[in-house]
Amino acid sequence: MYKNRLSYSGAVILLFLTHLSMLGLVFIRGSIAAPMDFLKLTGAVIGLDIGYLLITLWYKQMTYTLDFMLLCILNISLIFQSCFGGIHLSVKHLISCVMCLAACEAGFLLTRNHEWIRKNKKYIYILIFILFISIIFFTDNQKKWITIGSFSIQPSEFIKPCFILVCAASIVELHEKLKIAFFYISKDSLTLCIVALFIFALQWWCHDLGSLPTFGMIFLCALFCRFCYPKAKISKRVVAIVCAAGVLVLIAAWNLAPDYVQKRLHVDIWADRYGDGYQQCEALIGIAKGGWLGLGAGNGSLYKIFAHDSDIVFATICEEWGLLYAALTIMLILIMLMTVLMNPPKNYYHAMMTAGVTAAFLMQMSLNIFGSCNLIPFTGVTLPFISAGGSSMMSCGFLVGMLKAGQSPLFQHEVMKRKRQKQRQKARKAAQKQQRRSAA
Amino acid sequence: MKSIRRVQGLITAMLLIFLAAFAFLVYKLQTEAGFYISNASKISMGFIYDRNGDVLFDADADAQIYGSDYFIDIGNLIGDNSRQMSNTLAGKNIGMLANFSFMLGEQENGQASIHCTLDHKVNRDVYDAFGKKNGCAVAYNYLTGEIYLCLSKPSVNILNHYEDLDSLETGSLLCKVFYPTVPGSTQKISTTLAALESMGYDNLISKSYDCSGVYTNLDGKDIRCHLESGHGTQNITEAFANSCNPFFAQLVEDPALPLYDIEKTYEKMGYLVNGKGNQNYLDINGISAFTASTSLKSKTDFNTQWGCMGQGETLVSPLQLMVWQSAIANGTGIATNPYLISYATKVSGKVTAQAETSYSSQMFSEISAGYMKEIMLDNGRKNYASLLPGTDVGVKSGTAQVENGNKENSLLTGFVDDPGFPIAFCIQIDDRVKGEVSTSDIAKVMLQNLYESFYPSENEAS
Repeated sequence: MYKNRLSYSGAVILLFLTHLSMLGLVFIRGSIAAPMDFLKLTGAVIGLDIGYLLITLWYKQMTYTLDFMLLCILNISLIFQSCFGGIHLSVKHLISCVMCLAACEAGFLLTRNHEWIRKNKKYIYILIFILFISIIFFTDNQKKWITIGSFSIQPSEFIKPCFILVCAASIVELHEKLKIAFFYISKDSLTLCIVALFIFALQWWCHDLGSLPTFGMIFLCALFCRFCYPKAKISKRVVAIVCAAGVLVLIAAWNLAPDYVQKRLHVDIWADRYGDGYQQCEALIGIAKGGWLGLGAGNGSLYKIFAHDSDIVFATICEEWGLLYAALTIMLILIMLMTVLMNPPKNYYHAMMTAGVTAAFLMQMSLNIFGSCNLIPFTGVTLPFISAGGSSMMSCGFLVGMLKAGQSPLFQHEVMKRKRQKQRQKARKAAQKQQRRSAA
Repeated sequence: MKSIRRVQGLITAMLLIFLAAFAFLVYKLQTEAGFYISNASKISMGFIYDRNGDVLFDADADAQIYGSDYFIDIGNLIGDNSRQMSNTLAGKNIGMLANFSFMLGEQENGQASIHCTLDHKVNRDVYDAFGKKNGCAVAYNYLTGEIYLCLSKPSVNILNHYEDLDSLETGSLLCKVFYPTVPGSTQKISTTLAALESMGYDNLISKSYDCSGVYTNLDGKDIRCHLESGHGTQNITEAFANSCNPFFAQLVEDPALPLYDIEKTYEKMGYLVNGKGNQNYLDINGISAFTASTSLKSKTDFNTQWGCMGQGETLVSPLQLMVWQSAIANGTGIATNPYLISYATKVSGKVTAQAETSYSSQMFSEISAGYMKEIMLDNGRKNYASLLPGTDVGVKSGTAQVENGNKENSLLTGFVDDPGFPIAFCIQIDDRVKGEVSTSDIAKVMLQNLYESFYPSENEAS
């Protein structure tokens, strides 16, 4: 059974209270230039809450925890994004939030039946191939974006969920092994390694090295899960070889990284305050200005800095809302990831999938938060659910859908199959008993 | 299910690592907020005081309050909050001075401050003693590590707010005490220590070499002595006092003193020998001070021999020369690390960053330190008895040729052998010519003023 931990009505009250209290803060401490803007924002937030709740009521589902948490985070994000540099509803971000919710449901529906998705994994490979092609041939000068009219899509964002699914599939199907040179390698592990290699090469080619650690983390997680898997029976020698290879790759990547990456790896931001360290210095100053409780919604100055709503969004929130609010939002995302621990996956495919999703989210959050605060090199990736960007939001929504699917119960036919197995075992035992008796 | 539990363990571990890193970030942001905000805009700043309460830094200072050249002697040491000079006490500790707390924001009447070990009056007196000459001087308590004076001339008057930047003399914006210079014959201290470490005192004192004014080394090159007529036959104590170059060239060539032993002793003292290893820095409350470096190729090599006598490729900072004195003066071979900040107060007035005496690793043995001390005191008694009458002072002077021999810097480093007045010091005068103010003149002013500062009642009574 699902553990929702909180009653449905309790969750609804908490959801509304969170958003209303934030809107109250905007009203009290925010810089509202036109009351209509504030009303529009309030309408959008409450409207999205009610709308999504009505939709979820329409089709019954066994869990609501993740839906509520996602909705809560998205509307918090909408309020944040609508207050940078003054109160005005960010329609673009509202659309992103709606797309994120839709992607979440899509992710859930597509991945909840692990047998189905495993059977159709070839389509995931095809999808990854299409995404590769689109990046190579259809992206702009920066090799990141496909622009259609006024919309821009970042295809590499969509590779993340696909890669996690490929990782999960490769772990579960370890039985068929091929002998290559001196090693026995499963076909799927080999495919995974090739896909991973292609992704890393593509990211390197695109100069999108910010996403590389996220993919690396997902791959590392898959590797670790493979070692955890009892059926894999991996020798210590293989583990040592893999670790050594990993270290060598890291050293090589560190030394071969392009100049602009080397600069970021070694930059003393305060010595180069108006150069490579500009964004981070401004971000840290903004956080200091905001203190624990912030300057008030719309009262910050970081909105003038490039990428204030994406790469250094954590600092922008800290400045306007305070470190306390920013930390609470991060905690909310972490609690959402922790729901996997309350409702453990029922099969190894889903377990691996949820681990991959958690790894991706945590790595991306680390890169964004710790990078903008100069704890680690600044990579310029988005903060899940909070940063502006439709592709990122959709990808994150799909990942949450996968997280939700990972907590889904076994399907009826599986339950029946297990029951039948148990009945057969019982019948066999009973027959054996009877045989023994008759023999006696 | 076991495998699923393991995966859950992995997820838990990842979450915990992230949480720990986030907690660290929150701690860092809270503690460093003052530094960040001081980089932002004009904010209420605290003061830096000297050991007697004199102001050394005031963000709102002007000439009417303090006098037009009040800060001249400490301009390039203390610096200001304009970021024109980064390697200064204020520049490196600006976060401590911001009257700002992460919890309460800016506090107009905050009590953030830094209390320094410097004695501004003595510092200024020594600065004035340089007269028209440029140079630098530094002195500290070799038992506790408190720096009492540290100055570098030419300096910058921060009250001019850098309006005269173009007309400033070269080197005005940095404190030369922390930067490398050619040490001249003060390097003979290190070479003598290396010889003591390698050969022992008895063997070393038994060695005597002849100086006829010029010595042709085994590579056939001439090493000239500053005394053209030569010093005759001398032992180490005499040669050290005479600063005899031929003696030290022959000592370096002597098979009883392997070059490897010199390298090892130098490395233990903190030298970067032949570019091996990383450039070391002495950290004085955030201020980076360069340490020594030299190049040693072979015992008979002309440049190596000069390197052991403070020319060639040898570079040492005056601060480092002073710090070595502490390891000799306290007779342990372990130096006392110098510091400038005695303590600081937070915005709330709470005392923080209270200084504690710390020590270096063992640079040379106690026995070598003891004999070196005797050799230096002997030199002090013979040649510098007037520095501080009635008290033994261990000294070594040096003349360093710079700018391809066109100029000569004069150096003097030493220590006072008195536990009640434990001062180690180093003085440098740039481009000194005979007849001008000498390093011993400045040393007299320095030691006399410091003594008065140490024992004010005694001096008042007299």
